[in-house]
Amino acid sequence: MTLDEVTPRIRTFIAESFLDGDPKGELTESTPLLEWEVLNSMNSALLLNFLREELRVEVPLASINAANFRDITSISKLVSGLTAVPAEGA
Amino acid sequence: MTLHQLVIEAAARRPDAQAVSGPSGSFTYAELDAAADAIAARLGRQGVRRGDRVVLWAGKSPATVAAMQAVLRLGAAYVPVDGSSPVARVAAIARDCAARVVVTNNARIPRISAELGEEAGYEGLDGPYDPAPPVDTATTDSDLAYILYTSGSTGTPKGVCLTHGNARAFVDWAHDVLAPGEDDRFANHAPFAFDLSVLDLYVAFRAGASVHLIPPELSFAPMQLVEFLHLRQISVWYSVPSALAVMMRHGGLLDRPAPESLHTVLFAGEPFPIAQLRDLAAWTGARMMNLYGPTETNVCTYHEVTKADLDRDRPVPIGVAAGGDRVWAVRGDGGVAAAGEEGELVADGPTVMAGYWGHPPQSGPYRTGDLVRVLPDGSFDYLGRRDQMVKIRGHRVELAEVESVLENHADVAEAAAVAVGEGVDTRLVAFVSPESGRDLGVLALRQYLTQRLPRYMVADEVRILSPLPRNGNGKIDRPVLEARAGGAGTSSS
Repeated sequence: MTLDEVTPRIRTFIAESFLDGDPKGELTESTPLLEWEVLNSMNSALLLNFLREELRVEVPLASINAANFRDITSISKLVSGLTAVPAEGA
Repeated sequence: MTLHQLVIEAAARRPDAQAVSGPSGSFTYAELDAAADAIAARLGRQGVRRGDRVVLWAGKSPATVAAMQAVLRLGAAYVPVDGSSPVARVAAIARDCAARVVVTNNARIPRISAELGEEAGYEGLDGPYDPAPPVDTATTDSDLAYILYTSGSTGTPKGVCLTHGNARAFVDWAHDVLAPGEDDRFANHAPFAFDLSVLDLYVAFRAGASVHLIPPELSFAPMQLVEFLHLRQISVWYSVPSALAVMMRHGGLLDRPAPESLHTVLFAGEPFPIAQLRDLAAWTGARMMNLYGPTETNVCTYHEVTKADLDRDRPVPIGVAAGGDRVWAVRGDGGVAAAGEEGELVADGPTVMAGYWGHPPQSGPYRTGDLVRVLPDGSFDYLGRRDQMVKIRGHRVELAEVESVLENHADVAEAAAVAVGEGVDTRLVAFVSPESGRDLGVLALRQYLTQRLPRYMVADEVRILSPLPRNGNGKIDRPVLEARAGGAGTSSS
């Protein structure tokens, strides 16, 4: 998946699941999600589950760190990087 | 005997054995001992003396564990505050307990010193650790060992004061019950500011075993926790049931055979849903125990899970007295509850706290606020809370504290927090009604909360709702809010 495909899906998931739909449109790609506890322990688990179930991305242990989950931009980069490798035979 | 003797003795007995490992490195017992003395020397130069308090504002690392030992070796008490806690809260806690020094990573000193000024000294946690002479200040059972700050119903956190005697009564009891060996590998899931971590660290040290720190950012990352359990060959696991539940549900825990190393699974902090416990018991032959106790009592009851327990239709009992304590239930009319009756659980004995910081000492039995039923064998079933305290992934949260922080916001007219869902699915949702003419954003409110509350108290969701619903008595209608938040209210824990 490309960055352009991944970013809006992650943005929508976060707005719908954790921000009551983000009624005032405050969420941006650089909103500090960890710092403001949008991605707290519970919500991070839900996001990882979304990435696995909906985007079919397994995030390796070593990639789960503050730098990769700081904001939508960094999560999207991580996810598009993890899906960049073509599947076998593709 | 004092708490810090455990590391001193293990270092003399097994200097080259691994003591503590974290994401960024590990210490043998000799290294932990040397780092503790080095940090003690630094703190001594800052004027830390027996009877003082030292705030530790740091993430989980072997160095933080060394700093705890350093503080104890000086006869002082450590006050652990999560590395992720906002600086304003760290300062409030340091002020409340009149900390002599705040220890933190070197890079953070400017932030805390800007907030707290000259009310405390500041010491860097980072190495290298210069060799220093051994420090072992004469300390008694009644000296404070650590203060754990918990959510307070009045809107401000409360410092629970535990002495060396309190901690040792619990650690020695747990060591006797678990009988760990030198080769055991303890997982440390709980944050250091959470009392579950006392067992992981000090029972491991008493056995000369090793403890493996799980960094907070992984603490509810399901696949990563499962990976950690296997890779680190953990033999003793202790966590809130929520962590095990996410590992089972989202981490594929049950899809692989249980690691051969795992022989003991301990849980505490909230009821373990029985269906999930059944699944866990079918997966591992490990011994399983439910430990119960508010921070104020360490662990005051325990129950070893039996095969027969798994046929229950409710969580396993919290069990019988632990740690040399006496526990009983008091009925509404003040009498002691007999078998089959309900009452508030009361604990008295060596593990019960010295008191809250800044309040008169605890004298006599501690009333837990937890409702229990007395079972025919004299053990206890947990039923719920008498007040508005809820448990969010094992952490206790006073809804009033969250509400009072929100209502201090200039643009907020009123706020109500509710907890919905059960067990691992419990979510803290805050509803906020703005002052008329004010425009509130949910992200702006989250930012505001994170600057004032520890992570686990920041609501999972903040919603704007004006006005808040009222019942016939004019009070905020919590059941309506719970329904709006997506489910029936939690029965708490």
